[in-house]
Amino acid sequence: MLGVGAFGAALLTLVLWRGMDEALPWSLISLGIAYTLSLVLHGGPVDSAAPLLGVGLIACAELAVWSLEERQPVPAERQVVMGRFRALGALAGSGLVASGLVIALSAAPSRGGLAWTALGAAAAVLVVAVATLLVHRAG
Amino acid sequence: MTRIVSPRLAGYAGLAGIGLLAGLVLGRVELVALAAPFALAAVAGAFLVREPSVALAFAVDRERALEGETVGATLELTSPSGADRVDVLLPLPRGLRAQSPNPRSLRLAPGETRTLELPLACTRWGAFALGPVLVRVRDRLGFASWETRLGDREPLRVYPKVETLHGFLAPHETQVFIGNQVSRAKGEGIEFSDIREWAPGDRVRAINWRASARRGELHVNEHHPERNTDVVLFLDTFVDVESNERGTFDMTVRAATSLAHRYLQRKDRVGLVSFGGFLSWLVPASGTRQLYRIVDSLLQMNVVLSFATKGVDILPPRSLPPKALVIALTPLLDPRSAAALLDLRARGFDLVVVEVSPVPFVQPGGDELSQLSYRLWRLSREALRARYEQAGVPVVEWRDGVPLNIPLEEVAAFRRYARPVRA
Repeated sequence: MLGVGAFGAALLTLVLWRGMDEALPWSLISLGIAYTLSLVLHGGPVDSAAPLLGVGLIACAELAVWSLEERQPVPAERQVVMGRFRALGALAGSGLVASGLVIALSAAPSRGGLAWTALGAAAAVLVVAVATLLVHRAG
Repeated sequence: MTRIVSPRLAGYAGLAGIGLLAGLVLGRVELVALAAPFALAAVAGAFLVREPSVALAFAVDRERALEGETVGATLELTSPSGADRVDVLLPLPRGLRAQSPNPRSLRLAPGETRTLELPLACTRWGAFALGPVLVRVRDRLGFASWETRLGDREPLRVYPKVETLHGFLAPHETQVFIGNQVSRAKGEGIEFSDIREWAPGDRVRAINWRASARRGELHVNEHHPERNTDVVLFLDTFVDVESNERGTFDMTVRAATSLAHRYLQRKDRVGLVSFGGFLSWLVPASGTRQLYRIVDSLLQMNVVLSFATKGVDILPPRSLPPKALVIALTPLLDPRSAAALLDLRARGFDLVVVEVSPVPFVQPGGDELSQLSYRLWRLSREALRARYEQAGVPVVEWRDGVPLNIPLEEVAAFRRYARPVRA
């Protein structure tokens, strides 16, 4: 578990040091796997710090991309930098809210069962499908 | 506009999918919470993709400049819909350097017009076409970008600096028109030449009364007339040897400009022959217009690789008028130009060879074979120079960094003191 986490952190360092942007998703996946392993191995109740970890991962990814982009010497106006900084803050904030909402909803008293599992699976597939469709249209 | 979507948008969607499915499979809601920001970023990023509209007007404050001067370029950007980040790059050729950031990024509010001033330092002569401008518009988080070229092409001619030449090479013979060169012939002029006995037809004002009184019969003054000369600048454009943005062709163009400027100032007629892979010529003429014609022709000149055999017989006769002084500017590297110059001399042209030395631009290798070949190359150049001197052609070496005045003085001295050797 620690090894996978360390591998992810090392990969992220390598991405930033050598400018290997293609390895960035693998470093995020490694960090995610390390967290998943800790959840599975230790078990226990719902980890309320998960939203912070999710926001941390996406902020890490965005800041890494920004850092790689800044290696091209294009001097930007203060307005441009502040605009991106605000957008990043908004993304992190809304991500924290969405993630927190997921954790909060999981704590709501409801009975489990096959119907809820099927509904959850359908919602997950729908979210991924919508995201994929939108990305496909954008591309 | 060419649209480019960042691969991280698809990557975020993929990560969100993996997280949601892992959460379902393992029954851990934390993994869904972990995936939620990525899903949100992918959806928001895809929703925010809107093609922007940006217009750009590009202008240069003048079409002609001198080397070392600064030319102002203006870029006027406007966007009815606004743009979070616009990267603007004006591609610059070698010879122009931007004195303010290029490229640069800026933000355009909806309907706003921004004017960017871009001073360009002209560091080297040349005929340039500036523009179109490369524009890249990105959304705020850089999920998508659009690239296009905007603006027209603007011509800019940067003329080489003219070196002040104190002396000049006088041709052996002058032409028939009035100029500043004192002819060796006798006729109407200012410069005193000789006294001779009066002959019917001589004007009274030409009588030298003092000499006539002393000798007892009428004597008249004779003068040298002031005439113009024809000068042909013969440029060898077969080969260019360069290093660190300096080279023989660059030196040749600078020297030709300075010489043309100097001779045209003296009311001489100046012509130009570019003898190389691409052959071009200008028939000798005088005046400022001819100077611009010559310099414009020099700016468009280039070294073109060619294996075709060429001789001076393919040049039109008007480009090399009789009694013209031919000043050849050559690195003496191509045997075709070396042979053509000897041919010109054999045809009786008053020829001067200014050897634009490639030696400072050539670094010999470190090993013994390279050193030997370098020495052999230098010896072959010496042998070629000796051939010219045997043919009575003055050859002077002109190295980079040395004023052109010095080789011209050497030629003048050679022509002053050299005596023909007869067997």
